[in-house]
Amino acid sequence: MMRRALLPALLLLLAACDSAPEIAFADASVTLPDDPVDLPDGPGRDAVLENCTACHSPSTMLQQPKVSREKWESIVGKMRKLYKAPVDDSAAAQVVDYMVAVQARPEATGLSP
Amino acid sequence: MTESSFTRRALIAGAGTAALAAPALAKLGGMIDLGLPGGPSLRPTTPAFPGKGAMIVQRIRPPLLESPMEVFREGIITPNDRMFVRWNWPFPTEVKAAEHRVAVGGAVKNAISLTLDDVAAAGEMVEVVAINQCAGNGRGLSEPRVTGTQWGNGAMGCAKWTGVRLKDVLAKAGVVEDAKRVRFAGLDVPLTDGAPQFIKSIPLEIAMRDDVLVAWGMNDEPLSILHGFPLRIVVPGWFSTYWVKMLSTIEVLTGEDESHYVAETYRFPAQPITPESKDFPTVPITAMPPRAFITSHSDGEMVALGKPLVLEGIAMGGDAALERVDLVGKGWEIPCDLGPDEGGPYAFRRWSVNLPQVAGDFADIGVRARNVNGAVQPEQLVWNPSGYARNVIERITLRAQ
Repeated sequence: MMRRALLPALLLLLAACDSAPEIAFADASVTLPDDPVDLPDGPGRDAVLENCTACHSPSTMLQQPKVSREKWESIVGKMRKLYKAPVDDSAAAQVVDYMVAVQARPEATGLSP
Repeated sequence: MTESSFTRRALIAGAGTAALAAPALAKLGGMIDLGLPGGPSLRPTTPAFPGKGAMIVQRIRPPLLESPMEVFREGIITPNDRMFVRWNWPFPTEVKAAEHRVAVGGAVKNAISLTLDDVAAAGEMVEVVAINQCAGNGRGLSEPRVTGTQWGNGAMGCAKWTGVRLKDVLAKAGVVEDAKRVRFAGLDVPLTDGAPQFIKSIPLEIAMRDDVLVAWGMNDEPLSILHGFPLRIVVPGWFSTYWVKMLSTIEVLTGEDESHYVAETYRFPAQPITPESKDFPTVPITAMPPRAFITSHSDGEMVALGKPLVLEGIAMGGDAALERVDLVGKGWEIPCDLGPDEGGPYAFRRWSVNLPQVAGDFADIGVRARNVNGAVQPEQLVWNPSGYARNVIERITLRAQ
């Protein structure tokens, strides 16, 4: 019903061309920048570097809001189960420890003035 | 400190104990504060990405780039170099136009593989102006906070999209009678075996709309790689999760879509919930609700006491045309003037309001959009655990002096 009502406006909006489109598709490429941010030191950092950074830039990890240990366990569990991240139990525990520790430091939420 | 301790690791450790995320990010240069409650709230505008101007870097790999709100201060079209960028999975950084194919298959009469020229010749060329908005736009402003990309409100933009109608591309293969949905896949794929590919589907009746496109043009330029070269789906009025980029497969389904990104994520509670709620029914995030933003002023800005004040901004109706915008404060509201309808029902529209005299601070003022279907922005956030479809009235305070 809603679409029907909008149709007159849409027809005006859609500027159809008279002749066949003359579109020339050219190749495209892009060079993506690297992440200049390093993870702060701390227990479990190596486990994070080995298991997480292929998909998650360090800067993104450091920008996450502070959440509970249970939430980090659930997130790491989701990465393993759903996204098939090859992370073993020991590394998973270290990753959780690291994220909890990084977020526990007072500076971690001190970014907002 | 001995000389031997000046290793890279030691320096990082030293910096780490004194200050962690903040200096690590601050060294990147220009920072923008997104005002995320509880922080971390500062985001770098570096590193620069090819073809992009100053953008808020939410993630570098795969890129998540947010438009600073200043981008929306003028006009209704978001320039290509300031349009937000969002990828779920890594994508090829080079695409050869002559080699690219779009497979059209599933519940069709004749499965086909189309070149880009085939796609362009599938029907008449169509242009539509439409807002592209991430389902998670504004997620970082949720209270209580939720995990995921911590977007401010800049994961949106409005562009003129050029392409052919999806229904004309589907007609090349011939949709079977009992078709229910149309699913899209692109060249972006997970790094890990067995992880779900980012594939999305829309109901057939949406796919057959006259304004749903297979698009190659964005504001009269070819799509860049970052925006989904060579082709992306455009579904005006719907969140951009359905606007699949680097389109390589169109699959017609005769049943429901049980794939991860449709059946398990990008979903919203069917009824309002609280942060304590568990095991509630959900519905997919689809059509966009109305939203409005003050773009002429930012939170905390000073305005001149006793002088006239003009506030301006943008608004959208979502999946229906914008009807009105009101400036709202505590216990009062003033209708705003809408600018010309330049882009149609799915585009931004500008609004403005003239206040004859500033008599004091404007505490917690906001603008409230309403669309022609009667949908109106709520006073309170409709909280959900994924921070989807934010459209609470955004409020700022202006100080008079």
